[in-house]
Amino acid sequence: MPAEHGAPAAKEPEAPLPIGTFGQFLKEHGIETKRLPDSVGVETIELAKSSDLDGAMRLLKSSSEIALDFLITITGVDSQDTFDSVYHLWSYTNANELVIKVLLPKAEVKSGQLPTVASLSRFWPAANWHEREEYDLVGIRYIGHPYLRRILNPWDWDGHPLRRDYRQPIDALNNKAPGSFR
Amino acid sequence: MVGELTELKTTGLKTDEMIINMGPQHPATHGVLRLILTLDGEFVKHTEPVLGHLHRAQEWQGQNRTWFQYQALIDRVDYLSGMFTSWAMARAAEQIDGTVVPERAEWLRVTVAEMNRITSHLLWLGTYLIDLGAMFGFPFYPFREREKLLDLFEEIAGQRMMFNYIRIGGVMRAPKDEWYKKLEHFVHNFPARIDEYEAIVTENPIFLRRTKKIGLLTQAVAREYGMSGPCVRASGLDYDLRKTKPYSVYPKLDFKMLSMNHESKVGDTWDRYICRIKEMRESTKIIKQCLDMMPKEGELTGKKQNAGLRIKAGEGFAAVESPRGVLGCYIISNGSDRPVRFRWRNPSFCNLSAVSELLTGHPIADIMAIFGSIDVILPDVDR
Repeated sequence: MPAEHGAPAAKEPEAPLPIGTFGQFLKEHGIETKRLPDSVGVETIELAKSSDLDGAMRLLKSSSEIALDFLITITGVDSQDTFDSVYHLWSYTNANELVIKVLLPKAEVKSGQLPTVASLSRFWPAANWHEREEYDLVGIRYIGHPYLRRILNPWDWDGHPLRRDYRQPIDALNNKAPGSFR
Repeated sequence: MVGELTELKTTGLKTDEMIINMGPQHPATHGVLRLILTLDGEFVKHTEPVLGHLHRAQEWQGQNRTWFQYQALIDRVDYLSGMFTSWAMARAAEQIDGTVVPERAEWLRVTVAEMNRITSHLLWLGTYLIDLGAMFGFPFYPFREREKLLDLFEEIAGQRMMFNYIRIGGVMRAPKDEWYKKLEHFVHNFPARIDEYEAIVTENPIFLRRTKKIGLLTQAVAREYGMSGPCVRASGLDYDLRKTKPYSVYPKLDFKMLSMNHESKVGDTWDRYICRIKEMRESTKIIKQCLDMMPKEGELTGKKQNAGLRIKAGEGFAAVESPRGVLGCYIISNGSDRPVRFRWRNPSFCNLSAVSELLTGHPIADIMAIFGSIDVILPDVDR
């Protein structure tokens, strides 16, 4: 008869991932980050405080050895409990790549308002249209944007189409579940 | 043009500020784009592009269709280079999933992608010359060669523009033996055709006068706006994904990254023209090498192509060098049959955002010469 095993040990909380090159660089400049699992081999970090975004981006862009000066894209994601603003940074001069995420908890968003994050457009023109697009489609308000208006949808469009709870105008009329096929 | 008009302006001609709408139905906007121009007399003071006339909610469709269904739609993101949009999506999905693409499929992908680069540049060449007012029949020269390539695409993919040929895991079907022969025949003759275009256009005095020293794009502006593709290479920025972040079988191939004007760090409209012409020659070289080195037997796909196609949970971004620049896509998957978030990174969108910088200070007659030289394709902008 096999020895009686005790109750299975409580699952240990996963050890935090070791800090990466860019996380270390930001830490040296006083910006706290948390490493997330790599997205297909690219270092992915989450900013501890969303208010650090502006400073972190300026540092990464202007530093001569890191030189993450190629803003690939800004993505808004409607996750389960958060709205994420995801920044993909590349470099024109070297092979560096970095993904930065800013998580905006849904619980902190007041009803009838949009989640907010600082805009990069003041010092990075490439961010201008990407931020407008994410405002339009996902509904994240980029504070400090010079011209935050809808870019792809008409100016009088109702709602933000890439939200989970978005209902197409016609579906709302027919009382259909969001995302169902017609 | 600028010189003459500046002269007129300084001789006491009174000018006034005026707002003019260019588009959305302007024939030279390659799609539907509206430019709100603030003009001072003949000169552009400010440009505001109004997008979205061709918005088809590609990202919304991406997350509301299954992988297999959406695969067929993505050629429409940039309809002149459908192979590249499929390839970007396939690469991102394969990296998340860990699919190994058979070598033969990689070779076929590079071949058809470079063919697609040529067709895209040829269409640009023909329409750009129309934009400049060359109505004497030249535009049909590039279309003659483009037609031959489209016929080859039709043979291999069953479609002339919306290929749906590059699939997650590999490619759809193998070409027949005659296809290789036809393609070989094409690449053998094509360099002479490019010589023909160049004889007509490159040193043409009217063309030079319309394109030289206008639409100056400095490297600084290109970096700030996140531009890519032939536009930045014409300004001397060494950025070509095929070289800087090599993917697929490009490291095995011998070709040049075509960046010019390293000293001046500024590219004008004519530089962007010649950069694309040279790129077509490089692409021809690549196809030649592919035909020699490609294995003619072997697996075509590393993933079963059926309607229940699933990708493992994870997220990732992958990009390819399309004829217009870095075309990428960012996918978040949760392991089900449809993605959670599908985000496109379109080169036209980013390149177009710099158009105001390029147009400011130029007379209204130069707008289309400059705008056309960026090679923006509006379905790629609006998605």
